[in-house]
Amino acid sequence: METLNELLGGFAAAMTWQNLIFAFIGCLLGTVIGVLPGIGPVAGVALLIPLTLNLDATGSIIMLCAIFYGTQYGGTITSVLLNTPGEAASAITTIDGYAMTKMGKAGAALTIAAVGSFVGGTIATLGLVAAAKPLGELGLLVGPPEFFALMVVGISLLVALAGKSMVKALISGALGLLISMVGIDPVAGAPRFTFGMDRLLDGVSFVAVIVGVFGLSEILSHRKDSQTPAVHAPGLRSLLPSRADMRRSTPAMARGTGIGFGLGLIPGMTGSVASLLSYGAEKKFSRHRHELGKGAVEGVAGPETANNAHANAALIPLFTLGIPASPTIAVLMGAFLQQGLTPGPTLFTEHSEIAWAIIASLFIGNLLLLLLNVPLVGLWTSILRVPPSILTALILLFMVIGAYTINFSVFDVFVMIGFGLLGLALRHLDIPLAPMVLTLVLGPLMERSLRESLEISQGDFGIFVNRPISMVLITIGVLIICSPLLKLRKPKALMEDPET
Amino acid sequence: MTRTRIAAALAAASLIALTGCGANAGAATTAANDFPKKGKSIEIVVAFAPGGAVDTAARLVQPILEKELGTNVEVVNKPGAGGQIGYTQLTSAKPDGYTIGATGSPSVVVSPLDPSRGAKYTRSSFQPLGRQVIDPAVIAVQPDSPYQTLKDLLDAAKANPKSLTASTTGLQTGEHFAMAQIQQTTGAEFAPVHFSEGASQATTAFLGKHVDVLVANVSDVNDLTKQGKARVLGVMTAERSPALPDVPTFKESGYDVEAGTVRGYSAPAGLPDAVAKKLEAALQKAIEDPAVAQKMKDLGLQTSYLSGKDYEQFWAGQEEDFKKVLPLVQKKD
Repeated sequence: METLNELLGGFAAAMTWQNLIFAFIGCLLGTVIGVLPGIGPVAGVALLIPLTLNLDATGSIIMLCAIFYGTQYGGTITSVLLNTPGEAASAITTIDGYAMTKMGKAGAALTIAAVGSFVGGTIATLGLVAAAKPLGELGLLVGPPEFFALMVVGISLLVALAGKSMVKALISGALGLLISMVGIDPVAGAPRFTFGMDRLLDGVSFVAVIVGVFGLSEILSHRKDSQTPAVHAPGLRSLLPSRADMRRSTPAMARGTGIGFGLGLIPGMTGSVASLLSYGAEKKFSRHRHELGKGAVEGVAGPETANNAHANAALIPLFTLGIPASPTIAVLMGAFLQQGLTPGPTLFTEHSEIAWAIIASLFIGNLLLLLLNVPLVGLWTSILRVPPSILTALILLFMVIGAYTINFSVFDVFVMIGFGLLGLALRHLDIPLAPMVLTLVLGPLMERSLRESLEISQGDFGIFVNRPISMVLITIGVLIICSPLLKLRKPKALMEDPET
Repeated sequence: MTRTRIAAALAAASLIALTGCGANAGAATTAANDFPKKGKSIEIVVAFAPGGAVDTAARLVQPILEKELGTNVEVVNKPGAGGQIGYTQLTSAKPDGYTIGATGSPSVVVSPLDPSRGAKYTRSSFQPLGRQVIDPAVIAVQPDSPYQTLKDLLDAAKANPKSLTASTTGLQTGEHFAMAQIQQTTGAEFAPVHFSEGASQATTAFLGKHVDVLVANVSDVNDLTKQGKARVLGVMTAERSPALPDVPTFKESGYDVEAGTVRGYSAPAGLPDAVAKKLEAALQKAIEDPAVAQKMKDLGLQTSYLSGKDYEQFWAGQEEDFKKVLPLVQKKD
C-alpha cells in the first residue's frame, strides 16, 4: 500500500509538463541515436549527459533514462529496414526482421518490435516496483561460477543457432572467439593478437565489427547480385501486423520478457546477451522454429522484448544495491552522482520522491515510445521508397560516420570495412553470422568469469558442479547441446512403435 | 602586360609565402596560448570501469574543468588489465593537452616495474598534473562472519594460509599490494581473486558471498558499512579514517601496515609548459572546489591536493616502496 502511494506520488511528479517534455525529448533523441548505426546507448547517453547537467535532478535523470531505452527502440528500425543493426542489442533482429522486410512486412515487424519493447519494458518496471529489493539480492547469488555456467548455456545455444551445418556454425563461433581475444589480456595484462599494433590494444570495436559483418557485407553482396536492398515499399495495409502475427508473437514476447528480466538482474550482463539468448530460445522452443531465419515474427518479437526488459530490469541492481549492472547503466550512474544522488538503498530513504518519480517516468517513457513509434512506423518504412542507389549511398555514409564516431578514429572505419569483406566471404561460404556475434559478445565475459571462478576454487574445476545454481545451468547447457540427438531418436521410435 | 603579370605573380607568391610563414609561426604559439581551442574537447581517460571511485572522482571534477577551460571535457572509460589498457592509451596520445588521464597508484607505478606485463610506458611517460585524493585500504568481512577482530581474521589466515579468498580489483592493484604488505608484515596469507573489471564487480561478488574477504578502499566500503552489509576490521593508515571513525587502524591493532591508493591526473609526457600550467590550474580549482570536496567526502574520500611537481615527487617515492614487495604480487605460474 505504501509502495502504491509512493508510486502515485512519483507519477504526480513525473507528470508535470516540464518532466513530460524532458521524457519526450529523451525518447526522441534516444530513438534517433538508436537509428544511427554505430552510436549505441553507451555513447549516446554519455554524449547527451552534458545537455542535462543544468536541469534539476529529477528532470535530468528522467531524460537520460528515456534516451537510454529510446535507443533500444530505435536500434530495431535500421536492423529491420536496412539489415544494419542500429546498436548492438538489435544485431540479432536483422536476421528475421530484414527477411520480413524483403517479404513486404517491414511495417508489421516494426510494430511488433515496438509492442514487444513496450511489453518487456513495462513488465520489467513493474518488477522494479513490486519486488526490487529481494530481486536485487537474487542477482547477487550469481557469482563468477554461475556467471560462467550461464555463458555455457549461451554458447550451447550456438548449436541451436546452427542452422544447416553445425560445423559451419562452430567455425563461425570460433572466429568470434578469436576476434574477441584481440587486445590486452584482461587479467595478466599481456597483449594478445595485436601484431604489435597499438591500435589493437583495446581490441577491435564490437560495433564496428557488427556494422561491417552484417551491414556492409549485406550491401556488398547485393551489389554483386545486382539486386536492390529495398525490395518492396510496404503499403499502408502492411503496417499493421496480422492477427496471426500477433498470436505468434505473444509466447515469444513472454519468453523474451523472462529472459531479459532475469539477465537484467545479473550484474555484468548486457542487452545484447539478452537479445541473443532470446533468439536462441526461439530457435529452440518456438512452435515455428523452422521458419526462424526466413522472416519469422518470433525472431523480432523475442529479442526486441528481451533487450527492453533487460534495459529496465538492469535498473534494479542500480536502484537497490548501487551496482551498475551494464556499461550504459554505469554511465547513468555517473549522471546520478553528478546530481548528488547516490544510487543504492539509501536512494529510497534519502531521496524517495526523486526515486519514485524516476520509476514512474519509466512507465510514461515506455508508453511515449510506443505512441511515438507505432505512428512513425509509416514514416520509417517510407525510407524504403527512396531509390535504392541513393539509399545505399546514405547507408554507407551512416555506417562510416557511425564507425568513426565510436572512438573518433579512422582505424575503426577500416575495421568496419575489413569485417564487411569478411562477412561477404562468410556469406559466400554459407557460414552463418549469428554464432560469430554470439561468441564475440560472450567470449570476454566467459574468459573473465572462468578465471575468477578458478581463482576462487584455487584451480578446482569442481566449483562448477558443486554449487547448485551453476550445476543446474551447466546441466541445461548440456541438455541443449544433446537435445538434437534426442530428437533424432524420437521419430525413429515413433516409426518403430506401430510395427511392434 | 607581361610586367603586370610578373608583378601580380610576385605579389601572389609573396602573399602565399607570408601567409604560410604566419600560419607556421602561429602554430607553435597557438598550441600553447589558445589552449584549449573552442569546440575541441578534452578527454579524461579513466583506466577503470564506470561507477568506481576513480571514475566518480573524474566525473565530479569534469563539469568544473569544463567551466575553467571553456570547452567540452569528456570522461572516457578504458578499463582492463589493472589499468594498463587505459594508461597505454593515455601515454600513446599526443601531448597536446587534449588527452589527459586519471592516474592511480599503485597501478600506474607498478605495471612498468614488472617486465612480464609488457607495458609500453614508464614513469617518465607521464606528466603528473595534480594529486586529488588518498584512499586508504581496508579489510572487511561478511557481517555474519565469525571473525570479530582483525586479529581473529589474520590469525585464521596465518593458521591456514590461502584458505580464505579475498577480492582485489586486478593483478598488482592497490588491493593486491595491500594483501602482499599484510603477508610480509604479519605472515597472514589470503588467496587473491582478481576482479579485473574493478571495484563494483569485486563488491558485487563480496555481497553475494562468493569471496570471504573484501580488500578495498575506504570509499568502497563507506556505503556498505552504513547498510550493515560489511564489517570493516581494519584501516591501513596511520590515523583513523574520518569516514570510519569506529574502525581501528592496523597500527592500533598491532600491525605495522599502511597501504592505499592515491589518485591524481596526468598527461602524456612532453606537454608544452603553457598548456601544462593551464591544465594544472584548472585541475587545482576543480579538485579544491568545495562542492566537489564535499561530494568526495560523502563518498568517504579525503581530498588531498598536491601540485603536479609535488605529485611527481610523491610518485617517485612510491615507486621505491613498491619495488620492495613486488615479488609477492608477481604471477608465478
